[in-house]
Amino acid sequence: MLGFLKKTQRSKFTAYGLILPAFAVVFILAAYSAYWLVKMSLVKWLFGEPWINSIWVGLDNYRWLLFDQNSSFWASVRITAVYVGIALFVELVLGLGIALLLNSKIFGRSIYTAFLIIPIVVMPSMVGMVFRLYFSYDGLINYFIETFFGAKFNWYGPELALPAVILVDIWEATPFFVLILLAGLQALPKEPFEAARVDGASNLQEFRWITLPMMAPLIVTVSILRLMDLLRSFDVIFVMFAGGPGDVTTTLPLYVYKMTLIARNVGRGSAASIMLIIIIVALTFLLIRLFERIKFEM
Amino acid sequence: MHTHLLRKRTSAVFLNLLAIIVVFAFLFPYLFMVMSAFKSRLETFAYPPVWFFKPVLDNFKSIFQDINIMFYMKNSTIIATASSLLTMLIAIPATYSFARFKFRFKDSLAYGFLFLQMMPGISIVFALFTIARLTNLYDTYIYLVICYLLWNIPYAIWMLRGFVEAIPVDLEESAMVDGCSRFQAFLLITLPLMGSGLIASTILIFIGAWNEFSLAFFLTSVNARTMPTTIAFFMTHSGIKWGPMFATAVIGTLPVVVFALLVRRYFISAMTFGAVKG
Repeated sequence: MLGFLKKTQRSKFTAYGLILPAFAVVFILAAYSAYWLVKMSLVKWLFGEPWINSIWVGLDNYRWLLFDQNSSFWASVRITAVYVGIALFVELVLGLGIALLLNSKIFGRSIYTAFLIIPIVVMPSMVGMVFRLYFSYDGLINYFIETFFGAKFNWYGPELALPAVILVDIWEATPFFVLILLAGLQALPKEPFEAARVDGASNLQEFRWITLPMMAPLIVTVSILRLMDLLRSFDVIFVMFAGGPGDVTTTLPLYVYKMTLIARNVGRGSAASIMLIIIIVALTFLLIRLFERIKFEM
Repeated sequence: MHTHLLRKRTSAVFLNLLAIIVVFAFLFPYLFMVMSAFKSRLETFAYPPVWFFKPVLDNFKSIFQDINIMFYMKNSTIIATASSLLTMLIAIPATYSFARFKFRFKDSLAYGFLFLQMMPGISIVFALFTIARLTNLYDTYIYLVICYLLWNIPYAIWMLRGFVEAIPVDLEESAMVDGCSRFQAFLLITLPLMGSGLIASTILIFIGAWNEFSLAFFLTSVNARTMPTTIAFFMTHSGIKWGPMFATAVIGTLPVVVFALLVRRYFISAMTFGAVKG
C-alpha cells in the first residue's frame, strides 16, 4: 500500500505511527490539564463555586504567594527542604550501610532482599494510618523508646510531627536504596579489590578509594530518583497529620492541598501547584546536568 | 593462626546477626500490623503492647459486613487491571519504536514522556477534578483509568525499553528474511522473548495503580472509590476504628506483597527505569 514511498520514509512513518497512540493519550490529557491548571492559577475562584463566578486576577496569585507577608509559601518551601534533605540523607547513608552489610558474607541474602521489598510496596495511605497509631502516646514507638531510654515523646506535637513523618519515609524508602545499591555492589568487578588486598589496603581504604568511586554514578542516579519522589510525596503526610499540627508538616504538596481545599482558594492553590512543578523540573534538570558534567570530568 | 580464624568467625557471626536484626527491624512494622488485625479491640490499644493473644476474626467480619470491603476490592481490581493492561497495549508499540527506529525528535520525545512521569499527582489533581466536573466523568472507573495512563504510559515506556533493547535485532531480521512481516517478527520472536520482563512491568504498574491515593481520593466519591481511600471510613466521630483499619490494611496489601515477591528479580531494573540490572 505504501509502495510508492521509499523504504526509509516508510519506516519513519511506522516509527511515528507506533508512538502515536501513546503520544495522543498522554500529551492530550497533559496539555488539557495544564491548560486548566494555568487558567485556574490566573483567577480568584472559591472551591465548589461554578466557573462563571471566577474572577480574572492575572498574575496576582503568584505575586501573593511569592511576595505577600501573609503567604506561608516560603515557610512551606523551607519545611519541604528540611523534610526532603533529612530523609534523603538518612536513607542514602543507612541504605548504603545496609547494602554493604548484606554484600558481605551473609547467609540467606535472597530472603532478606525479598523481605525488604515489603515496605516499598505496601499501600502508603495504609502505612500512614498504621504509623499514626504506632506514633501515638501509648503506641509502639514510644514503647520501644521507653524500654530502652526510659522516656516517652509526644510525636503528635509541633516539635516532633515532622520527625515522625520523616521516620516513616525512612522506613518506606531505605529498602529502595538497599536493594538498588546492593545490586550495584554485586555487579562490581572483582579485580580491583583483589589488587587492593595484595597491596594490603584496609577495609576502610578499600571502601573510600574503590567502592565509593565505582558506585558514585549509581548513588547519584538513585538519589535523583528518590528526590523527585520525596518532593511530591503526599499520601503518608496527609494521612498522618494533614500538614498539621499548625503548619509544621505542610510540605509543598500539602500546601497545595490546604490552599485549594481548606482555604478553598483554587487560584492560589493552582499557582502553588505550578511553582511545585517548576521546582521539581528545574531541580531535576539541574542535577542531571551537574551529574553529566562530573561524569565527563571523571 | 587460631586466634585469627577465631576472630574471623566471630566477625562473621556478628555480621550475620546484625543483618538479621536490621532486616527484622524493617519487617517488624508490617508484621505488627498483621498481628494487630487479629487482636480484639482492647488488645489493639494495650500498653505495653500485647505479644501473645488468642487471634480473633472480629475485625475481618466487621469490614465485610459494615463497610462492605468487597465493593472496594472489586473497584480496585477493575481499575488497576484495566489501567495496567491498557497501559501495556499502548506502551508496547511506542517502546518498540523507541528501541528499534531512528527518527527525528526521538530523544526529545523520550524526555518529554519522562518529564510527564515526574509530574506530582497533587499538582494537577484539581485541574483533573475540574475537567471531571465539566465532562461528567467525576467518580467513574473510566476517568480514573485514563488519568492513571498519564503516569503509567511514560513509566512503562522507560521500563520496557531496556527489555526490548536486550533482545538482538538480528533475530527479528532473520525472521523477516524467512518471510515474516516486521509485525509478525515482533509478535513471534521479540514479544515472547520479553515474556518475563513484560509480565513484571505489568505487575509493577498494577501495584502502582492499586496503591495510588491522591487521584483516587479527590476524583471519586462513592461509585469508584478504591482500597487506599477507604481509610477515611475508619475516622468516625467516636475516634478511629483501628481494628477494622488493620484488617483492611492486611487485605489491601496482601495481594500486592505476593505479586511483588513473585517478580522481585525484575523489581530493581524496573524501579530504576533500567539503570540497574537486578
